[in-house]
Amino acid sequence: MAVHFINPNKTSSFINVLNSDPEFKIAARYMTKDVCIEVGKTKCIVKFRDGVITQMKSENAFADPWDFAIRGSVDAWEKFLQPIPPRFYDGIFGGMIRGNFVLEGDTVSAFSHFWAVTRMLDIFRELQNK
Amino acid sequence: MAKFDPIEGRYVYLTIQGVKYRVYYEESGQGIPIICQHSAGSQGLEWRHMLTDPEIISKYQVIVADLPYHGRSLPPESVQWWKEEYKLTKSFFIDFQIELSRALGLERPVYIGTATGGFLALNLALEHPDEFRAVIGVEAAKHAGTATLDTFDHPNIGNDYKRANAMYFSAPANPEKYRRAITWVSMLAAPPVTKGDMNYYFIEHDLTGKTQQIDTSRCAVYFLTGEYDPTSTVEDTMELAKEVKGSKFTEMKGMSHAGMAENPVLFKKYLMPILNEIASK
Repeated sequence: MAVHFINPNKTSSFINVLNSDPEFKIAARYMTKDVCIEVGKTKCIVKFRDGVITQMKSENAFADPWDFAIRGSVDAWEKFLQPIPPRFYDGIFGGMIRGNFVLEGDTVSAFSHFWAVTRMLDIFRELQNK
Repeated sequence: MAKFDPIEGRYVYLTIQGVKYRVYYEESGQGIPIICQHSAGSQGLEWRHMLTDPEIISKYQVIVADLPYHGRSLPPESVQWWKEEYKLTKSFFIDFQIELSRALGLERPVYIGTATGGFLALNLALEHPDEFRAVIGVEAAKHAGTATLDTFDHPNIGNDYKRANAMYFSAPANPEKYRRAITWVSMLAAPPVTKGDMNYYFIEHDLTGKTQQIDTSRCAVYFLTGEYDPTSTVEDTMELAKEVKGSKFTEMKGMSHAGMAENPVLFKKYLMPILNEIASK
């Protein structure tokens, strides 16, 4: 299964859906951070500016800076993106507790914007299965 | 004609470890008393479905209190609580249940608690087996492992963190209306309370080496754990149940950390055989 949110051809549609989602708009308020979502060896840098996603970059992003990163194997993300994920892959926090995902960097910022991040990842799942 | 829930709410004064607390509790039904304990950083609202279930309240007296500092139970007036960090201790948590039961005149009630409250079921069975006819530990384990508690009460981390976290402590296929309600209830707790409750959950609760002392002939012990719970896993509780001789364990498929609140219909399916067994003794 291909992970859609790291597909450069799908980036603009993902950004449109995210920025127009009512819950995401509330959850991402005030957020100005660069978030790295790492799928195996592929990095996807999501740039938030004043609560709006301005860029998702997964090509040639290996040297781009970020504030915090969520890392998981390809297998872990594929499980996470299933319509009904298996246990310990259904949420990032629980996945971190069980060692399936890793959070690194400015963790205070990550947790202060955790609602925005988790809503974004849920939308990734919704679009993966559309 | 207005519709009313069968719940009655009132305050009772409890003196615990020398301090008087004004404690809010709700009750409904008649029959064998059941004390229902909420989880960390939460309040009695978690048990609202059990308080209104016609089948349950036709046979049982369901009692749900807000721990001091939680829900409608304010911090005590006689203590300068703002000068110290709030921490839930094991001894306070145990004494609260005993004092509540005695103040309400309950005769060997059933105790059921979830998560933090589920851990306490073990302490009660171990230290006060004659006060309770049975305990039901929901999401129980010997020990929760280690965790960083500061994120639960940090000036730069707001309630968004708790709501996002709480969403994923319910299983993904359960009704969204209930999962979202859990996130709301989690935000109702004062941030110091969530962190302080974790003092018992992550630090003080450790029954390693003590579980075999629990005498289930004096106090029956049951365990219910959700398939998806990442903190107290099914495997954790199975290990625990093997050590507590005479206890009974049921895995709740399709459930996570907050069974009675995330899917009350499914939770009842798992709970009723236990309650019926307790009632038949």
